[in-house]
Amino acid sequence: MGELHEAAVAGIYQSEQGDLSTRDQAEVWWEAAEGACRDAGIELADIDGLVGNGPAGIGLRSHMPGAGLAEQLGHPLRFHAKSETGAGSPLAGLNLAAHAVTQGLADAVVIVNAVAGAGEGYTSSDRDTSVAAMAKLSGPYEYVYGTTRVADYAVFAMRHFYEFGTSSAQLAEVAVAQRHHATLHPLSVTGRRGDITIDDVLESPMIADPLHLYDCCIINQGAGAMIVTKATQVASLGRHAAVVLLGYGEGHSHLDPNSMPSMTDCPAAKLAADTAFGMAAVRRDEIDVAGLADHFTIGVILGLEDAGFCGPGEGGSFVEGGGIGLDGHLPINTSGGHLSFSHAGFCGIFTAIEVVEQLRHEGGERQVDGARVGFVTATGGAQQAHAAAVLARA
Amino acid sequence: MTTVEEGSYEKFLPEGIPSSQMPFWESLRAHDIRVQRCDRCGTYRYHPKDACPSCQSRKATWAPLSGRGTIYTYTVVRRAPSAAYASDLPYALVHATMDEGFRMAAGVAELNINDLRIGMPVRIVYDDVTPNWTLFRFTST
Repeated sequence: MGELHEAAVAGIYQSEQGDLSTRDQAEVWWEAAEGACRDAGIELADIDGLVGNGPAGIGLRSHMPGAGLAEQLGHPLRFHAKSETGAGSPLAGLNLAAHAVTQGLADAVVIVNAVAGAGEGYTSSDRDTSVAAMAKLSGPYEYVYGTTRVADYAVFAMRHFYEFGTSSAQLAEVAVAQRHHATLHPLSVTGRRGDITIDDVLESPMIADPLHLYDCCIINQGAGAMIVTKATQVASLGRHAAVVLLGYGEGHSHLDPNSMPSMTDCPAAKLAADTAFGMAAVRRDEIDVAGLADHFTIGVILGLEDAGFCGPGEGGSFVEGGGIGLDGHLPINTSGGHLSFSHAGFCGIFTAIEVVEQLRHEGGERQVDGARVGFVTATGGAQQAHAAAVLARA
Repeated sequence: MTTVEEGSYEKFLPEGIPSSQMPFWESLRAHDIRVQRCDRCGTYRYHPKDACPSCQSRKATWAPLSGRGTIYTYTVVRRAPSAAYASDLPYALVHATMDEGFRMAAGVAELNINDLRIGMPVRIVYDDVTPNWTLFRFTST
């Protein structure tokens, strides 16, 4: 029985991101799975494990994704598992896949997040439908008052401003840095719109005080996929550096935000990060590049504090002056993140894929020189479920 | 704050509330707000829960509240979740720390959004939105 770090991300793939409403979800799912296999140097026929959802279909397929995929691959799968942590599911899935591979339950596990077609609920291609579906994620005790996903995070930001003097200009630093990263990524949704300034963010429409439009993630469709195998297999194929899972942790927090002892720190997010760092035996100052859940700019501030990269209330000053840019003290969300790269479906997969690319030294113009150790978080809901991982170039 | 016919109310109404949580909604309808309070340790439970987060006891009594608290945080919504809410824009959402020591979230009534401040005292008022459903809102004291 192997250790977690004996498993590696062997293959990654990202489709076009944006409006995929004219494409079929299943077609995009297969494109992503095939792309990740090609990147890993294996065939679809080699897949013997699935984490998360298979391609959309009819009947039981969505309830028995393993069976649904096995039927189409023409051989039995040896493993299926699924995490229910919203946007955090793919990062939680990476841990499940690594366990399957190191415990001998599968040799090649595929994880795919694919959103395309008309979509339903919060994956709808129609913006108003998507916003309304996300609004109801707060649950009936709150959505009756007209909450939105933006408002769910705005109340965290408002309290953070009050307790620590965090400012809208500091939040804007996150949006500005990540937009610049997106301009350097050919697949990003917003990169072709060019850089933005702090004033652009502050002058963008207020959506829910104190969050402006550019403090919010984009709404789009797209796909991403990862293949997990043993690290030794990646090394023997020799296509690229193996990126291994050194440490992983979760923290499941609450459903009602009023169940959090405080809205400015999240014990469950700390738990996830502390578990991951402890397992990896890596210090915070050894992290070269990070991907922090950024559904809203305040998410990065909270994420920095909860993960222990700075003290409580210090997130605002951490991001000032390009602190999370490519030349900053900790480059974060170097693809542009959910704010500027992609926020499609279980979008945590894109955060992880970018860190994998950085650790492989395949970041092109976005490359953080010599990156060897990365940290990734993924958050489901409004600070409700947390996953954290330490990844390293083997 | 006017009551309309059940079928013509276009904002979101509570859906999927288990029968064990209905006493909260019934207390709003009776204009006598009550939340669960642990029979063993006295901890208030809101939103309603099956077990006490302090002592895991599953026994609770629907206890009355002072209805008073102070604003812990708030936001002003300027992009609505649906057309029915858009006519109210801009509107506030408040999370208040109740005098009993736990927090509750709701909209506001007769409260100027420009007057909102963290720490401001508020009290609960009732809003009979349909014959079957009453919501609570925060207003100034």
